[in-house]
Amino acid sequence: MPVAPPPPQRSVVAPSAVRAWCYLVWLCWVRQARMRQMVWIALGLLALTAALIGLNTLGGRWDMGHWRWPWPPKPNPPTLTFEEHLERLAAERKAMPLVPEGGKLEPAERGDRAYYVTPLPPQAALQDGLLNSLRATLNESGFMVFSRWAIFAVFVSFLLPIFSLSFATDAVGGEREGGNLLWLLSRPLPRPAIYFAKFVALLPWSLGLNLAGFGALCLAAGRPGPMAFRLFWPAVFWGTLAFSALFLLLGAYFRRPAVVGLVYAFFLETVFGNLPGYMKRVSISFYVRCMMFDAAGDFGVQPEKPSIYLPVEGDTALWVLLGVTTGLLVLGMWVFSRKEYVEAT
Amino acid sequence: MQTSEKPTDGVQAMPPVPAAPVNGVAGRPLPPITAPKTAAEPVLLFEHVSKWYGPVIGVNQVTLELRPGITGLVGANGAGKSTLLRLATGHLRPDLGRVTVRGRPAWSAAAKRHVGYCPEVDAFYEEMSGRQFVLTLARLFGYSRSEAEDRTEEALRAVGMMDRSDKRLRGYSKGMRQRIKVAQALVHDPELLVLDEPLSGVDPVGRQEFLELFRKLAARGKCLLISSHELEELEKLTDHVTIMARGRIAAVGEVLQIRERLDSHPMSIRVDIDEAAGGLGRRQLAGLLLRLPDVVGVELGEDEELVVRARNPRQFFEEFTRLVLEENLEVRHLEALDDSAGAVLTYLLGGRG
Repeated sequence: MPVAPPPPQRSVVAPSAVRAWCYLVWLCWVRQARMRQMVWIALGLLALTAALIGLNTLGGRWDMGHWRWPWPPKPNPPTLTFEEHLERLAAERKAMPLVPEGGKLEPAERGDRAYYVTPLPPQAALQDGLLNSLRATLNESGFMVFSRWAIFAVFVSFLLPIFSLSFATDAVGGEREGGNLLWLLSRPLPRPAIYFAKFVALLPWSLGLNLAGFGALCLAAGRPGPMAFRLFWPAVFWGTLAFSALFLLLGAYFRRPAVVGLVYAFFLETVFGNLPGYMKRVSISFYVRCMMFDAAGDFGVQPEKPSIYLPVEGDTALWVLLGVTTGLLVLGMWVFSRKEYVEAT
Repeated sequence: MQTSEKPTDGVQAMPPVPAAPVNGVAGRPLPPITAPKTAAEPVLLFEHVSKWYGPVIGVNQVTLELRPGITGLVGANGAGKSTLLRLATGHLRPDLGRVTVRGRPAWSAAAKRHVGYCPEVDAFYEEMSGRQFVLTLARLFGYSRSEAEDRTEEALRAVGMMDRSDKRLRGYSKGMRQRIKVAQALVHDPELLVLDEPLSGVDPVGRQEFLELFRKLAARGKCLLISSHELEELEKLTDHVTIMARGRIAAVGEVLQIRERLDSHPMSIRVDIDEAAGGLGRRQLAGLLLRLPDVVGVELGEDEELVVRARNPRQFFEEFTRLVLEENLEVRHLEALDDSAGAVLTYLLGGRG
């Protein structure tokens, strides 16, 4: 082995803590790119959900045209679907005489074309109004159905927490399990700064997966998708931040953060989030939904029973999500700065 | 190099230190080995440090100063060596007392700038090459890219990995991984190097290279704290050792001095024989033991327990062995009741504890 040379003369350039922190952010961001089991699970769930949504789209199942009223459908006489109602109304309208009894066609000119006009009989006018409103409702019902069933019930309740968990629990928890946390804890960086760097590095991945995943589902939904994405992406954004802060904290505190996170996602978010009354307000997804209800209120997307659901205003929900994100982040920094990771050293 | 248990000039805040470490069971302290005082601030200072893991005590009232030079840290499994090292590197906080590096709490980020840690745990960013790994850890100190690259090359040259560090870490042998660990500990030129089993897995040639490296670092004024099971290797490196037993410092100082003190300090040894097998009763054995020149006393307890107090333990054990063979005794149990002395003796006799 060559003899260890004396240290070379070098200019004294003090190492920079800011530079170290920025490099840590970059390092954590790059290391998050390594695919892990939870990420594969999340992508698999995304693919499955997108496939199911796509099948519904192909089958034209998003609007209410195939719904029947009353439910359950009566076999005899057979209950018609809304689409069948519409067709029947259209057939009835077509069968109505154009010129009422005792009326006559009046010639008129518009440009180089000749028209015959006649005041519509009241019955025909009513039928036209009914047809148009029913047709408009059915045309726009896809957005409501897609929002209620795919976004609220599946994405917000289930996929959003899972997607956030897949990256966030691994940011600190993965380093602990791999025994690599000691390298970071041996550097002259304050522990809260290390934790904050982990959060900042995690966000592009969490946000990317959630927003891109949400976009993919909206794309698969066909016609109602673009409107859904345009209205709901801010709620997804803020919900992702809150969930990421939560699962990062779980990773800092628990040895098996993925397990704890899954229990949280399946129990607290899914069960509590759908309880009547005020219990649901402990779940992050409640506030995400409230933001969505507020954004899409003009399009008929509301809780089924607002008096039981008790939603909050969209602005209030946003502030709560911001507060939750900040609070969990500060709490995580405190926990990380105090905790002794004996197993990791 | 000074290793001292006593407060030195300049460490004014340090309370009075017991003259000698107190052992765990018998309560008889080993005679102190005093070291000359110096005015320089210690690099690493433990002041009445205790650390618990729940109900289990890891380190118990440890007071220790380290200055530039090499100090070996030895002790049986569970003696508290790893806990001591983790306290020194700021991975654990003491429950009582304080640990400081150049006057700064070891837990703080500022103190870690002065500390290079080579852990025993074998964990890396496996997807990186050795060079990338050391470079990454150098960048995490806040060096610019060019500075970090220069330092990385120096560190790799020092550990003999210049031409082998471009492969991925997952393909490295144990010895190569150990070299990379030492390299990352050196990359920022720290004042204090804490090395936990640095020779583990390293081939004999590599060991000599490391020993030479450590001597050079000590000659440059670095303070090295090296934990090892290999007392023989440590003795090649340094005369100064700290021996731990059951969370306490059993002995601190030069190995030669420790040996001499141990020889002159009576040690309590419990002896249990099978009377039926040997034909010799305990009382008769007690009489024979009293005739040995190094035995200063024999106690026969109510439950027929035989406790011998003897000087020169190594000499005593040789004579005792001869006695056992002559009288055809069947010894069921032989135990040093003095934890500290027992631990020291174990290591001085070359045992691993």
